[in-house]
Amino acid sequence: MTEDHDDWAQLLRAGKGGDARAYGAFLRKVTPVIRGIVRNRGRSLGEATCEDIVQEVLLAVHLKRHTWLEEAPVRPWLYAITRNKVVDAFRARGRRIDMPIEDFSDHLAADPVADPTEAADMRRMIGLLDHRSAEVVRRIGIEGCSVAETGRHLMMTEGAVRVALHRAFKRLAALRERHLE
Amino acid sequence: MKTDDLISALAADSVAEPPLTHGLALRLGLALAACIISVGMVLGFRTDLGSAVLAPLSALRFVLTLGLFAVGLRMMLVVARPEGADLLRYTPLTAIAVLAGAAVVWALTTTPPGGVPMAVQGKTMVWCLTMIPLLSVLPVTVLLLVLRRGATSRPRLAGAMAGLAGSAGAAATYALHCTEDSPLFYVTWYGLAMAVVTLAAAWIGGRVLR
Repeated sequence: MTEDHDDWAQLLRAGKGGDARAYGAFLRKVTPVIRGIVRNRGRSLGEATCEDIVQEVLLAVHLKRHTWLEEAPVRPWLYAITRNKVVDAFRARGRRIDMPIEDFSDHLAADPVADPTEAADMRRMIGLLDHRSAEVVRRIGIEGCSVAETGRHLMMTEGAVRVALHRAFKRLAALRERHLE
Repeated sequence: MKTDDLISALAADSVAEPPLTHGLALRLGLALAACIISVGMVLGFRTDLGSAVLAPLSALRFVLTLGLFAVGLRMMLVVARPEGADLLRYTPLTAIAVLAGAAVVWALTTTPPGGVPMAVQGKTMVWCLTMIPLLSVLPVTVLLLVLRRGATSRPRLAGAMAGLAGSAGAAATYALHCTEDSPLFYVTWYGLAMAVVTLAAAWIGGRVLR
């Protein structure tokens, strides 16, 4: 277990340093853990809604990764973000939930859940972006294009694609927040 | 959208935000410099500033406000992190409160009984209660903007820490003008002014830091 978490820290550190592969690996490793927590807490919400929340958590993890201190353990940081987003999601759906952080024991969290259903919220939110931003997110995410390919397609420089992608995620998070209120 | 697709897109986003402390010293420094300039131009520095800083009772005002500034800032930066609320230590804050309390007790025992109400009231209470909140606006705004980039789990607490640190910094600059040297005055009125700013910032935090 401990080894596993050192691994997370290493991947996230490399990711923050600009290693996209390590960062992707980090996100793929923590996703089943986040999904386990969300499903455990939100069983009554149904699988699709749970997956919406998982994606919300991932977006928050991504946009707030600068709040992780490299010398601090990853787990408490990740669990706190997850808890906050789950509480928000429940509040938005008119339910209250108490989530003491001690409850996030490893056996709950590490229980991997496979084969997620497709989540609907993110797609709807992407639809609310301006056309070019939405196109950048779709091409890179869904069609698996590289930044360079996307740039060629949309007649944008690589730098412009990167900026557009980053802005799109910030915008998605903001839309999400407004949507929740 | 499938979660795996989202992850691919997230991993492709290599634009990283700088750490929370990035540019903080500069911005906060500028905000406090603006406070010092305002105090100097609007109110004027006390003429005996040099000797006042050396007199223990008067200097204590700087020790208390700058102490609260440092402690509040540090606590704010901890609670700005998602897991930070669990890591907060209140001992330094308590120590400063105890020091302020001790100064008040000492002043009560050394001030002649008849003079206590006058010492508390002083002559510049209204200025103090007006200027400290006004001077706080800039530093507190700087700190709330830092918190916006953070990811606190406790929005009101984080806002309160920004209010405490910002108003304590502002009070320290006001002290460059203020000649009320009794702890009975400055603990009471500086304290009240800072408490008001702290509560206001906590309220704002609860609204803008979710």
